[in-house]
Amino acid sequence: MIYDPAKGEYTPSVRTYHPRTFFLMTQLGKPVPQVVTNIRKKIKRLLDDRNYILLDAGSKVTGRDFLNKIWDMILSVPIGVAIVDREMKPTALQNAFYEIGLMQAYGKETIVIRTHGTEVPSDFVRTEYIEYSEKGRSFSKEFRKFIKNCEDRAGYYALMAEELGNNPILAFDYYRRAFLITGDGIYADRARILLSKSKGIPVCNQCPSVERSWL
Amino acid sequence: MEAKKKDVVQVKNPRTGHYVKIDRAQGQIIAHKKSDGPYKDVPIARKRKVG
Repeated sequence: MIYDPAKGEYTPSVRTYHPRTFFLMTQLGKPVPQVVTNIRKKIKRLLDDRNYILLDAGSKVTGRDFLNKIWDMILSVPIGVAIVDREMKPTALQNAFYEIGLMQAYGKETIVIRTHGTEVPSDFVRTEYIEYSEKGRSFSKEFRKFIKNCEDRAGYYALMAEELGNNPILAFDYYRRAFLITGDGIYADRARILLSKSKGIPVCNQCPSVERSWL
Repeated sequence: MEAKKKDVVQVKNPRTGHYVKIDRAQGQIIAHKKSDGPYKDVPIARKRKVG
């Protein structure tokens, strides 16, 4: 079940999925620290090389409530990347960590890029991170490694979906996660087959059987 | 020789590097291994060929 953060009510809205897309969480309002801009450019280049898209909260103009817009975007993508730097506004840092927590709760892949000397809240000590240094050359290598690991996870999710076929709701969700990372229609096909065999099962609005925009 | 598909299998989670045990009949994850390596005497599930 997904609950509207503003109304507290169950939300049945069908959203448009954005497969092969990373959601960027960082300070968007000026003045943006130079190092954040540099990291962002590097990430964009690395993602372009692998045909992934980078979106942030400013990428879409909906005219609706900003929090709802962020929720929609977070739910529609497979992966989140946060950039944190100690020169960022405290409110921007707080927003970034709220969004990471939200993404983790919904089974999205997350990575934190932090600059040297930037502290993260203790609740995030087990969250994957890459330390960025303007001088170091390992950032690109580490980030590519993260992308590759996400691709491996997609294979794992697909395998889990196959093995959990007797639990269609769970299997649907694993197929959805595999589809979102890869954009591969084969997972939508398999979810369709699973759906055709599972008539009458109760499904939540996060399940691909209802979220038909990707099927 | 038993030809029947095993009900309990294991899969390696690439995020943690650890194996998870799955009960296929129940459609449930029944255990997460905390140490390295696979569970003893539990078959490792392999990816199906796409197509």
